[in-house]
Amino acid sequence: MRRYVLTRLATSIGLLFLSSIVIFCLMRVIPGDPTITKLGGSIQGVDPRALVAIRHQLGLDRSIPDQYVRWLGGIFQGDFGRSYYSQFPVTTLIQERIGATAELAIAALSIALVIAVPAATLGTIWRNRVFDALLSGFTAIGLATPAFVTGIVLIVVFGVKLGWLPTQGYVSFSHHPLASLKSVLLPAITLSIVVAAPVLRVLRASLVDVESASYTRTAAGKGLLRRQVVFRHVLPNASIPALTTVGVVVGGLLGGAVITEYVFARPGLGTLMVDAVYQRDYGVLQALVLLAAASFILSSLVVDLLYGVIDPRLRVRGAGSAQ
Amino acid sequence: MNETAAPILDVRDLAVEFPLSGGTIVPVRGVSFTLAPRQRLGIVGESGSGKSLTALSLMRLLPPPGRIGGGEVLMDGRDLTRLSEREMARVRGGRMALVYQDPMSSLNPVQTVGRQIVEAIRTHEDVSRAAARARAIELLGEVGLPQPAERFDSYPHQFSGGMRQRVMIAMAISAGPDVLIADEPTTALDVTTQARIIDLLGRLVDQHDMAVILITHDLGVAASFCDDVHVMYAGRIVERSPAEPLFRQPVHPYTEALLSAICRLDFDVSTPIAAIPGQPPLPQAIPEGCPFHPRCPHAFGRCTVEVPADTLLPDGRTAECHLAGERAGAEVAA
Amino acid sequence: MSAVAEPLRVPRRRPRARFLTQLLKRPSAAIAFVVVLAIVVGVVGAPLVAPYSPNAFDFTHLFGGPTLAHPFGTDELGRDLLTRVLYGGRTTLEIAGFSVVLAMSGGSLWGFTAAYRRGWLDELLMRVADLTLGMPVILLGLVLVAAFGSSTLSLVLILGILFMPATARLARAALLSELETDYYLATISVGTPPWLIMLRELLPNAAPVLIARASVVAAEAIFVEASLSFVGLGVQPPAASWGTLLQKGYTNLYRSYWYPLFPGLVILVAVLALNTLGDHLQRVLDPAKR
Repeated sequence: MRRYVLTRLATSIGLLFLSSIVIFCLMRVIPGDPTITKLGGSIQGVDPRALVAIRHQLGLDRSIPDQYVRWLGGIFQGDFGRSYYSQFPVTTLIQERIGATAELAIAALSIALVIAVPAATLGTIWRNRVFDALLSGFTAIGLATPAFVTGIVLIVVFGVKLGWLPTQGYVSFSHHPLASLKSVLLPAITLSIVVAAPVLRVLRASLVDVESASYTRTAAGKGLLRRQVVFRHVLPNASIPALTTVGVVVGGLLGGAVITEYVFARPGLGTLMVDAVYQRDYGVLQALVLLAAASFILSSLVVDLLYGVIDPRLRVRGAGSAQ
Repeated sequence: MNETAAPILDVRDLAVEFPLSGGTIVPVRGVSFTLAPRQRLGIVGESGSGKSLTALSLMRLLPPPGRIGGGEVLMDGRDLTRLSEREMARVRGGRMALVYQDPMSSLNPVQTVGRQIVEAIRTHEDVSRAAARARAIELLGEVGLPQPAERFDSYPHQFSGGMRQRVMIAMAISAGPDVLIADEPTTALDVTTQARIIDLLGRLVDQHDMAVILITHDLGVAASFCDDVHVMYAGRIVERSPAEPLFRQPVHPYTEALLSAICRLDFDVSTPIAAIPGQPPLPQAIPEGCPFHPRCPHAFGRCTVEVPADTLLPDGRTAECHLAGERAGAEVAA
Repeated sequence: MSAVAEPLRVPRRRPRARFLTQLLKRPSAAIAFVVVLAIVVGVVGAPLVAPYSPNAFDFTHLFGGPTLAHPFGTDELGRDLLTRVLYGGRTTLEIAGFSVVLAMSGGSLWGFTAAYRRGWLDELLMRVADLTLGMPVILLGLVLVAAFGSSTLSLVLILGILFMPATARLARAALLSELETDYYLATISVGTPPWLIMLRELLPNAAPVLIARASVVAAEAIFVEASLSFVGLGVQPPAASWGTLLQKGYTNLYRSYWYPLFPGLVILVAVLALNTLGDHLQRVLDPAKR
């Protein structure tokens, strides 16, 4: 078991390094000189010495490997470089924004799981055709509905028409819990649908698979009631394949957050990214993309480790012997 | 067949149906038999004859959309088909237990073997965890697993097929059922293990005072293990007989054909293997009249139009064949 | 025995036109098919179908709600939204369509090469594909737009490239399973040149899976284009697409909430229909049913 954990950790760290290199190179390779962006888009009539000065300031006059090492070194010290546009340290920008995104992500994930898991489980216990058809329908619609559509509908209904909830802005939880919850509710519901739909689909599919497995019949044959069979035997086994999907979805939350934050004018990492793209601000972009890659790698790692805990078949390597 | 004691299980005209979008399929078309306490009953037949579905329907474990289409299953004077889910759950494991044919996937892979047996025990008896654990270990030893105390904490994937089947058997008998149904318990195992498992079953059945229904397509096993044998074809029982007379002098042409298809070591190598021509009918395409007539060497006019009744023969055997009387008579005379 | 002069044709049933009838048997598939057809026809035939000219201003009816005259309402200049949605669809479908073609052809080539060549090339190609699989598509899309701009050509290229890796994986798996079939080994062992079998049997057998996937990729392409345009980084004005209409509607949300609703619904319906169609196509064309 320990070997498994260590191997996975090592792989993750390796992947992280590899990603950082790829991201860094990508930023240097794609067309568009950040110095030009800084100067407002054109180098016509600019004093060449100013150009050199800016290049030096941005550290662009060094060799690429050198720049990479400096960047990476900075990251280890918590310095993500500077925004090409505003000269603010990227770390500061991230710190300002991460609260909004984190709260949104946690709220959305919680709502999604609270919806998806009981719905799928009840569907399995009841085995009712109508309920299953409804569930399928919701899943299909949920998968097809872009976050901006859900967001706009929610804004129209709850913001414009009913006026119950705020439709933009952000209040930090530590600052004012109730207002914070109100401001996060609509965006969280929007994002939760994006999360819940794939999880619901994969959970239902794996519940169906496990349902037809022999050991489900064995459990019923022992005299267990339906709900006991589902909770003790079907659900634990079905969670295993669903876990991978949960990991992927969690890792991709940043992507979903982009649209959601934009729709609800919520100052988080998502809107930071959109702004950075507008401004061709590679300093910020490379940090954010690295963050996204890191979150994906991290959630994959957590999922793999959880697998090791839940599924005993992965744990014992060569220690069990058939006789 | 002599059953002087009151039967512990009385199955009357049991039918199983599968309502599908294309129409309803009826794979079990009226099965009746009785089971006496401590009796060893064998149900034999080819794949598709409906024997496994019969077993599942006794326990009411039919996979949806399958359901019991008619008939009664009487135990202790109660019709099991009419019980509520809750009451049926108490019967399962407690009064009647089922051992399945694929030991490889019949155990929950993420729980220890011991825990699964304990669950079986505690579902039917209010005992402490410790007591249940002790019982489980004892059972594991009884089914022939070495080092049962260590094995208690092992996971299914750490066992071989034969050992998993032993675990399944231990789990099945753990709550002390009166009826044990074994559905092809040895099909997935190698020959040596097969013999051992059958021996084990025999021992346990005697020790624990259980009646057994052994479902198999292996005639040899049925011959050695069972007191009585019922032969199933196309969803019905076509012959009932004590084991020894059945194998010596079968009445129903199907049974006769099955037995003659067996190869024996003392046959001449150049003798062609006698196979039954044709295929068993699919449930949606049962022939008119006697379902076996297309493949029967003795079929005549009446067989193609009239379904044979269950004929009671002088020695207590039964057969569903228009020629039953003559064939039984001829054998007795011979 | 004479040498095999003619390549051995092992007869395989290929589900040609029969699948269309089988597909349309299921109600949801038939509905999805009709919806997709309707959208395509409406959009392609916009000049004929649309009730108004897309630039016809009507200052007496600004931000109108849905009425008989204007089923989708009107925008900030009084232009009929139904018309604008139909015309906008041309941009969206054009971009989505081309990017799907790019993604499918590039991805298939990528995947087939990897499957056929195996070895280190396979490893390399698949590692590159895996790199991007974990990242949310929108993030990558944003980065690429930052780099390459949002002209129509850029968008087509960006979307095409975004969807290539997943298609490559699928193509590789499809070809691999074909290469492992007994009939392939049999025809090879008789001396038939592999490339001939590839062309005649393997690729056509792997094609259905990819066709089903194309429908889903089209849905994703519409999705991403709309998302990018919605945040202002996709199609740029004065060109209009469903995403830009949504964007305009969003900024004018408080004036008329119908404005963003209809483009949004159209996007939703299009994506849902394409997804459903793709699902059913996959089930009908599933090699497991052969």
